[in-house]
Amino acid sequence: MAPMNSTNETDRMPRAEMGKPDWTQEQRDEFMRRRRGRNYLLLAALAAFCLMVYGIAMVKLHEYGQMW
Amino acid sequence: MATDHATFTPHLGAEPGDWLALLKPRVISLVVFTGAIGLFVAPGHINPVLAAVAIFCIALGAGAAGAINMWYDRDIDAMMRRTTDRPIPAGRIEASGALGYGIVLSVISVLLMAMATNLVAAAVLAFSIFYYAVIYTMWLKRRTPQNIVIGGGAGAFPPVIGWAAVTGHVGLLPVLLFTIVFFWTPPHFWSLALYAAGDYEKAGIPMLPVVKGARHTRLNVLVYSLLLVPLTVSPWVLGLTGRFYGGAALISSLVFVYFCWGVYADQQDAEGNSLTKDKPARAAFKFSILYLFVLFLACAVDRLI
Repeated sequence: MAPMNSTNETDRMPRAEMGKPDWTQEQRDEFMRRRRGRNYLLLAALAAFCLMVYGIAMVKLHEYGQMW
Repeated sequence: MATDHATFTPHLGAEPGDWLALLKPRVISLVVFTGAIGLFVAPGHINPVLAAVAIFCIALGAGAAGAINMWYDRDIDAMMRRTTDRPIPAGRIEASGALGYGIVLSVISVLLMAMATNLVAAAVLAFSIFYYAVIYTMWLKRRTPQNIVIGGGAGAFPPVIGWAAVTGHVGLLPVLLFTIVFFWTPPHFWSLALYAAGDYEKAGIPMLPVVKGARHTRLNVLVYSLLLVPLTVSPWVLGLTGRFYGGAALISSLVFVYFCWGVYADQQDAEGNSLTKDKPARAAFKFSILYLFVLFLACAVDRLI
């Protein structure tokens, strides 16, 4: 297992790709770009979900005085 | 061992857009529209924030059902030209990931709906997801040429959900709107199936043109369009909507019958296959989308008048 503070690029590759030939720099960049995109999408989805639950709670408490 | 970069194709993972594509955004747009109209024409008041959340939940639920559909249909999607580039058959998203994604989003959409509106709306939403993912996709689609007739119910739930989100119950008007979408779906899909029959045959899906032939399908398209005439004007006849909707429904339905007559009377060979590259079927398919849009929009405008 790689140490936690390792900076080796291969430590960040998916496990299934470990035994395969080396990636080119372009492939590595593309992989990183896609993963970054997915992470931002997930962050946006989680933030939107929190905001929505907060909004629902505020409106229901304000209008009806209770959540359910 | 030498590394051959020319032949090595690593798994680079999905683009964020691939996860959105799993939700079938084009289908969602129609679902959101009919759901919003159901919500708008319902009597009573709902806070705009809760209304927006309800519409979002309808969209999310439909998208989640779409993701489960893509997971289950990944084998036939890989065979059809129209669907071969979807994220799962193209290898950009793993099947199990798509299934988990669909299930999680289904649960979230139902829970949010219950939290924002009421249990009736949440229950109908949950049933609509089950209907599309299990009854249509897993049970009917590959077993019967009537798949789209019964499966049409899946896309017909949004106006009922929208109505229930406001009122907490299901009335006669949303049931009629449900029935309109239910009877609209077969001629809509069979028009498409007429010119995509080769794809469906290749994938082994028993669509009507594949099983019963093009001639039989043409007749069915026309019959369903005729059934839609009295059905679409019934909300006006029963006094649930005004004359504006009644007029719009009657005119647009007659135009739809005209397009479907074109499908029925298309120049064809002995087996009913088109000699015009299915030009009338393509036109009827395109108009069917506009037709549904006009019907629901007229229903909303009628509420304002």
